[in-house]
Amino acid sequence: MSCKLVRRHLGALVDGELDPATQIEFERHLEGCPGCQEHFAFEASLRQQTRDSMGGVHAPEHLWGRAIRRLDEIDEAKAEHTSLIHVRPMRWRQTWPIAAAAAAVLIIGGVVGLPESTEYQGAGMLQDVMNLHSQALPSDVQAEAPQEVVRYFQGKTPFPVKPAQFEEPSMKFVGARYIRVGARPAAALYYNHLGRRVTLLVFQSPEIMRNAQRTHVGGRELFYHDVGGNVVTIRQHGGVNYAFYGDIDRPVLFQLAANARVAY
Amino acid sequence: MPRKSKKVAAERELFEVEARPQLDALYSMALRLTRSPVDAEDLVQDTLVRAYRFYDRFEAGTNFKAWLLRIQMNTFVNRYRRASRERQVFDGPMAVPVGEGVMSRASMRGLTDPVGDAQRRLIAREINRAFEELSDDARAMVLLADVEELSYKEIADIVGCPIGTVMSRLHRARKQLQGSLQNHAVQLGIIEEGDDEVEDPIPLEAFRSRKALKS
Repeated sequence: MSCKLVRRHLGALVDGELDPATQIEFERHLEGCPGCQEHFAFEASLRQQTRDSMGGVHAPEHLWGRAIRRLDEIDEAKAEHTSLIHVRPMRWRQTWPIAAAAAAVLIIGGVVGLPESTEYQGAGMLQDVMNLHSQALPSDVQAEAPQEVVRYFQGKTPFPVKPAQFEEPSMKFVGARYIRVGARPAAALYYNHLGRRVTLLVFQSPEIMRNAQRTHVGGRELFYHDVGGNVVTIRQHGGVNYAFYGDIDRPVLFQLAANARVAY
Repeated sequence: MPRKSKKVAAERELFEVEARPQLDALYSMALRLTRSPVDAEDLVQDTLVRAYRFYDRFEAGTNFKAWLLRIQMNTFVNRYRRASRERQVFDGPMAVPVGEGVMSRASMRGLTDPVGDAQRRLIAREINRAFEELSDDARAMVLLADVEELSYKEIADIVGCPIGTVMSRLHRARKQLQGSLQNHAVQLGIIEEGDDEVEDPIPLEAFRSRKALKS
């Protein structure tokens, strides 16, 4: 066994990562070779010095508490999601008007001669949009810094995504993820409003404006859809749609959606 | 506040009991990777959140610290988007070739047995400085192996490469560290400059197959 070979793999020897047979051969060589012994002593000593000089870093006191608070939020979201699923009758009530709306759209489409697929997609899309909220998918990016959210969506969506800014301090940004609505790339931004989940879906879908109802809140024009007792509020800026919805009452949602800064 | 289900509460408690002792290791690693206390805190928090979300995927009986560090490494790579670039530098044609005997014998002797606390502190400072000059990938290797004392198998899982690659990357990282340390130490007069021995690398596999031929 050559010194070169031994020295090349001294690191693995010090780490105890050589197979037993090779280790024995290495040790046998070391016994009779002062040069390699020196290398070995150096390798082991430097390992210890590296450990001593770089270890012993302590996390700041507040870090654990900070992380724990985030976990609390996740648990709350989980608990809400669970309670949402328990209310089965709600599901039935939700599906009827959607089915009826789809049927109505189909009939109108048939009479007026609009392309059926587009209209049907519109109704299906609303259901997809609703599902995105009730599924409570995990966030891919959780950072508080808006820049990180912007960076995350770069190259994923064909339009820039920024977390909406709300006047209400009770609206807390929780996280975001890339998602598809039908075949369209979209950004799902998750917020928490006093323990209730609010989703903001950012995507390009001119169809979603069709048949939308119109209202004014605080001087701002707002569009919305009623989806079986739930309301999806929509704003449009520069060809991008911002759909706000969640487990909160309609007046509160309207207020939040109307006052949000989405394109800044 | 919505009620917590018993299952969620029990899982949460278990997670906290397991994760709390690893906080220092996570933060230490995060600090070395991001080089910023603010980013390090964000990274650790994101890591814990992610780990908690995927806690059901953790295989009981395996190393929890290694699992957390893997999540942190992935989070770092995804979030900071540096790794792909660093890895190219590390593995690609731009990789700095490292000879086998970067350090001279005289240097080696000077660093093996530091005399007194003062010199030990000085060398510790120089090790930290030399470490900062390494690429992200090399720093991760040294941290996982030398500071966190994980096995090559665990490191391979964390970094996502074969064990043989861990061995060679780690070797290269340590040689870089030693080379950089030597330069600093010589400048500071901790050690004397000597002639470098340059050797050709010999793969262990070649030795094993030669041995197999003989026997």
